[in-house]
Amino acid sequence: MDFSPLKEAIEAKSYEKIADICDELMLQVTSQGIAYQEEWPYAIHLLGHIYVKDINSARFLWKLIPSNVKENQLEVVAAWKIGQNLWLRDYAGVYEAIRGFNWSPEAQGLVNSFSEIYTNRMFQLLLSAYSTISIKDTALFLGMSEEEATNYAAKQGWLVDSASGMLIVKKQPVVKEQKLDHTKLQRLTEYVFHLEH
Amino acid sequence: MGRFRDNKYNKPGLMLFVDEISHKHQQRRDEEDESDQYHYYQRPKQVRMESIETLVANIIGLSEGKTTQLHTLLKQSEDSIQNMASQLGQSLDQLDPEKHSLGYLFLLEAYLSTPAAKEQAELIPSVARFINSCVAEQIRLEPRKFTYICKTFTDVVVQRQVPIMGVAPLRIAVRKLQPSSEHLTALHSEFLLVCLLAKCYKTGYSILKDDIFEVDQPRNLFLYCYYGGMICIGQKQFRRAIQLLHNVVTAPMQSLNCITVEAYKKYILVNLIQNGQFSATFPKYASSAAQRSLKHFSQPYLDLATSYSTGKIAELESCVATHREKFESDTNLGLVNQVVTSLYKRNIQRLTQTYLTLSLQDIANTVQLNTPKEAEMRVLQMIEDGEIFATINQKDGMVSFLEDPEQYKSCEMIESIDTSIQRIMSLSKKLNSVHEVISCDPAYLGKAERHRNQRFEMDDFDNVPQRFNM
Repeated sequence: MDFSPLKEAIEAKSYEKIADICDELMLQVTSQGIAYQEEWPYAIHLLGHIYVKDINSARFLWKLIPSNVKENQLEVVAAWKIGQNLWLRDYAGVYEAIRGFNWSPEAQGLVNSFSEIYTNRMFQLLLSAYSTISIKDTALFLGMSEEEATNYAAKQGWLVDSASGMLIVKKQPVVKEQKLDHTKLQRLTEYVFHLEH
Repeated sequence: MGRFRDNKYNKPGLMLFVDEISHKHQQRRDEEDESDQYHYYQRPKQVRMESIETLVANIIGLSEGKTTQLHTLLKQSEDSIQNMASQLGQSLDQLDPEKHSLGYLFLLEAYLSTPAAKEQAELIPSVARFINSCVAEQIRLEPRKFTYICKTFTDVVVQRQVPIMGVAPLRIAVRKLQPSSEHLTALHSEFLLVCLLAKCYKTGYSILKDDIFEVDQPRNLFLYCYYGGMICIGQKQFRRAIQLLHNVVTAPMQSLNCITVEAYKKYILVNLIQNGQFSATFPKYASSAAQRSLKHFSQPYLDLATSYSTGKIAELESCVATHREKFESDTNLGLVNQVVTSLYKRNIQRLTQTYLTLSLQDIANTVQLNTPKEAEMRVLQMIEDGEIFATINQKDGMVSFLEDPEQYKSCEMIESIDTSIQRIMSLSKKLNSVHEVISCDPAYLGKAERHRNQRFEMDDFDNVPQRFNM
């Protein structure tokens, strides 16, 4: 089995490509009748799906993994633990799953990068969904200690209401590109032409 | 009603046409010979081919540049090839699947029709190699033979319980066989079946992105849409699943088949999950066979839809409990559970239409959740998925429901409207050209003429479709 495209992607930190690379490689080796299951990098493959937020695929892959691999390779189980918590929307559980395992060097970079993205995604979620939220919950959602979470939020302009132990969310105006160029005008002309004929 | 393909590996949910399953391969091939009117040809005069060696030599000699000549020769020698079928295993090794695709195709087809071939251990990789390297132009000269090879290949990977081995080769096979991505082939459904069994939903989904406009055989369409619907359900692409299942339910048919029955059950469930309602009225263009008897086979599902429409969780749950066994044996229980979850969402969504602000406690009470915290989590998930617009105020325990902040003036939005318009424009062009073809079709004109003379005006035929989903 030629894992070099996978290795290259990991080294180049192009983690978003991992799932596709693994999927293709798996289909190719299986169609050639090569026994792959023993040495297949299931943990990386699972994490690749999780990284691009494709929990469906991660779940289907988990179901394909032979039971002896699940019993013997702890990292595979640990990787799925992250996916499982995402599937169940146990927001805080995701961080526990990330921290609860001593990842191999190959997986470590991927997990770290995912953890960062996930924290960011959670912060954006809190930003859009809450007007006030307790420090305790913020810490859980961001996977930090309460102090760290307060500091993190303060940097984004959130205020602390110390009486109630709440954070007051500061909404950020969303800036969206609104400029139009002349190609749009061209297309509009085409539409009108189409409608008239 | 249906029987299942008689091997254990096949899930009960995956059904095939009754005729198709119970026949052995040889019969299946004959059947296709007869039914395949598009590739029907007069059997040419048979020439006796002296030996395998001559045959192989001819294939090698003629493959370069003289494909037409080779094709004629092979068709003339079909009987003798069939007679030496069992000895063809070694001759195949002398041929190069890429250089001698057409000859390889004829020999492989004959070879696969022998029982011994299907037992051979190396069969899967060697057929896979042929599919991978054969030249599309050559195998398209004999689409039935190629289809037969690929169907046999599918049967073997399924029987040997290694469906994943079939995924990549069949994906290539579909692409090689179809003249354009708008054509449905007999291999689409085989590919999707293998994807379902191998749990390669993402790979299966990739082929469903193409819009299909050309269909030769109706049964291809039924299976393609049914399996395709299941793939989309697995990928939680419910909108697309509804489209595909809708095609099965409303497709023209003389008599009801079990694919349609199973599709209808899933169609009901997915509609509840995605749209929160199900109307049991069929569109006018649905076949009368479907309109007459489909409901009869899916009563538990219609009951479920009725109890869903009351909006009461307790009622829905008791309905699920009553029909649980039926849902389970149909392997639809997972979907049914998603229906139940979606009712909570639906009820919360309904609140947003009435209230501007509401306490978490009140939400929990109205939607029948146990605690305010649970209500908060549900609301949060819905915000995350973009299903409602709201802000939660934990300090006061309140939720404010907001309007959709989209103002339809960002570049992104214009881009997406643009693509929709363009899709509709190309669709309307397509529709026009189909309309033109039909207007010139003698059979249609004859029938329309007769109708007009009886009682109809042409205007009565202009049914406006109920709704277009963009």
